[in-house]
Amino acid sequence: MKTAVQKTAIYQKKRPGASRWANKWIQSPQWFLGFGIAVAVCLVVFVLNVVFGRVHPGSTWGLGYGIAAAVLFVGVFFYGVKRRTMKVRALGRAWYYLQFHVYGGTLFLLLMLMHVGFQVPHGVLTWWLWALSLWVVGSGLFGIVLQKWIPTLLAGGVRTEVNYDRIPELVADLQKRGDAVAESADFAVQDFYRKQIAPALAAPQFRPIYFLGIPSGMGGKAKLFASLREMQPAEERIKLDELEELYAAKMDIDAHFTLQRALRGWLYLHVPVSVIALALLGFHIFAVLYY
Amino acid sequence: MQFDRFRTKGFFSWLKLPVAKEYIYPTSRNMMFFVGGIGALLVLGLFAFNATVQQGQLVSNGPLSSNHAAFGGDCSTCHTPFQDVTSEKCSTCHEKFGDEVGVHTFASHYLYRSDDFTRVVADPNEPACFGCHTEHVGRDNPITAVADDNCLQCHAFDSFNTEHPEFDFAADSLLDDGNLKFPHTLHVNQVRDRENLGDLEQTCLYCHNATPDGTGFQPISFEDHCDTCHLTTSDATPWIATASAEGPGVLTLETLRAQQRPGSLWTYYTNPNEFQSRGATVRKTPVYHRDPWVLENLRRVRQIIYPSRNGLADLLRASGDVDPREVRTLYEEAIATLDTYADELRASPEREVQQELAEIEGLLKVVRRRLRDPYAPLDETKFLVSPAERDTSLTDADIRAYQRVVDQLTQACQKCHYVEDATIVRVQADQGNLIRAEFDHGAHIIHTRCLDCHTAIPIRESAATNTPAEWAEDNAGIQNLPSIAKCQTCHDDGKASNTCVTCHDFHPDKSQHSNLLQYLE
Repeated sequence: MKTAVQKTAIYQKKRPGASRWANKWIQSPQWFLGFGIAVAVCLVVFVLNVVFGRVHPGSTWGLGYGIAAAVLFVGVFFYGVKRRTMKVRALGRAWYYLQFHVYGGTLFLLLMLMHVGFQVPHGVLTWWLWALSLWVVGSGLFGIVLQKWIPTLLAGGVRTEVNYDRIPELVADLQKRGDAVAESADFAVQDFYRKQIAPALAAPQFRPIYFLGIPSGMGGKAKLFASLREMQPAEERIKLDELEELYAAKMDIDAHFTLQRALRGWLYLHVPVSVIALALLGFHIFAVLYY
Repeated sequence: MQFDRFRTKGFFSWLKLPVAKEYIYPTSRNMMFFVGGIGALLVLGLFAFNATVQQGQLVSNGPLSSNHAAFGGDCSTCHTPFQDVTSEKCSTCHEKFGDEVGVHTFASHYLYRSDDFTRVVADPNEPACFGCHTEHVGRDNPITAVADDNCLQCHAFDSFNTEHPEFDFAADSLLDDGNLKFPHTLHVNQVRDRENLGDLEQTCLYCHNATPDGTGFQPISFEDHCDTCHLTTSDATPWIATASAEGPGVLTLETLRAQQRPGSLWTYYTNPNEFQSRGATVRKTPVYHRDPWVLENLRRVRQIIYPSRNGLADLLRASGDVDPREVRTLYEEAIATLDTYADELRASPEREVQQELAEIEGLLKVVRRRLRDPYAPLDETKFLVSPAERDTSLTDADIRAYQRVVDQLTQACQKCHYVEDATIVRVQADQGNLIRAEFDHGAHIIHTRCLDCHTAIPIRESAATNTPAEWAEDNAGIQNLPSIAKCQTCHDDGKASNTCVTCHDFHPDKSQHSNLLQYLE
């Protein structure tokens, strides 16, 4: 019997000497250190600019920041390109693209703010570009927080793993199994199922309460099951146990549905606005060259 | 059905789900790019439409300053596609005067209140107008509010409060160039008592009358400020010998009238009773300010002592070195004198006189036109009397004799004026001491009083005791002006503005701002 070789993804590797917090939030100390150095260099350059030059988007310094920011902004889009060309191994690992996407994107925001001298631009086009840049980077950082937080929430509080795309199919399966169990049960269990359980099994439900934490039990429903169980004969109790298990599984699916939806949904805050910002950046560069 | 939630895949662990052999990009994400793409196209379309069909306000980096608000959406007024905004575009409106230097150029800056053309050295690093005058920062941000950084590219003075050099007059202990014998404390006390002024500052302002814009003072004028007390009807010249073969002297009114020199019309209007004769001597009473009889006799004595001069000095009432900024006034005064001569000739019926008069008037027009050019090179030395030009045939005794006549003629004048080379030394009456900066007294007197800053002469102490100060600490050569430290007490970061343009103009020639010719084709 062969022992399976466990392959660990690059983003799952833990550093034994690092704290739990560092392992969770910093996937690569090298990238993080590089980012820190880049930020420090940028800030030092800006201080020199303040001391020795003019802080203005049109000055040599300001144009330098603007060009660097534009290059980074275009660069971070290659992460999306890589995700669509995973078959092309020659392009390197997607993880490196992701690291550049995160740190390069944050550095872009810093350079953009340096470009405008940490002030709000006066023009409509430039104001929108400034605002969208803040939005894009802000939503990206928000996404990172979600990516670090929600999986932990799910791993710690849910006993079921489900594929988000299969949730409707799994819920339908639960409903079918619940209907089958209830059909063979007596009137009281059927009535209880029809009034209390069936509506919950009808469809996946988005419950924001799960962002605050995933309850360990079933709350009020557990008491209803318990009180009904006491009044039922042994064979009905088995059916009630099955229904209770189905209901608990549905609660877990709802937790997944709610939290994974947020995990995927934040991209709608991030990606479309990024595309608009990229288009505006192109127009801004054209306008600068034209005027 | 019990299971360990931490060791199994949970409720659906029995499911055998199909697994792909390679990563499948979720097609649902394409929708995000689609939405973003549609949004980008809409936004780009909006901006492109605004830039091409409308007035481009959305593409502009911000609202124009109120100075250029009239351009509206006509970007081409300043912008040329794919080029920087050129200074030539600015010149289209701002430099139509056509002089060689240009009011708003770096050359005019190098010539800051001087006519020293050697300072004008073209520098390839000179920024264009827009390098200092930032546009598109809003209606309420004047385009003339130039940031210090622009000045610091050439002037390494950094902050006004740390690096700015001391004012010239304080650093070099320069004397006041008023050329007047004037003890301040004596006059302050007398004016205060005579006018019954309770406030010392009112006494200051009795003579120091601010210009309407508050940035300077009107020239001190004898008629406005001095003649109440000085040169009254009791003033007279001493008895002076009349000119004769025996020795130097003065010409009488009758003699001067008979000579009919240009500019002698005053001889017909002067009251003969103002002259008294006693043998070969004459005296005049009263003596007026700029008394024509005194000045004409002074001119005559000058011509005897300095015969080789070009005559330009004779067109002036006074002489002596002037500040380079004042040279223009010499020309203007000379032209005014020539105008007076021309007026007198107009009454002459002779054709030759009229022809010459026409030529003179033509020449005067040419000179006036040249004077309108603020950068026309002017030469003050043409108006100066130089001891080197003294007539060598005159002995020292002759010179002393003529000097005695000069001293007698100007006895009343010398109470306040200096006399050198048989000439009354020109008084710098404009009270303009700041060469490179502007100072708005109107803006300052609200916060501080005259004598809080002008402390070099002990006016307050003298007024308190009603005793004039000693001449050593109250002579007219003392620059009664504050040093930079006084300004720095208020003009500091976080207090009053201390930017370069608070005090300095890059384009200093304000006189040309009102020259409407520069705005015309």
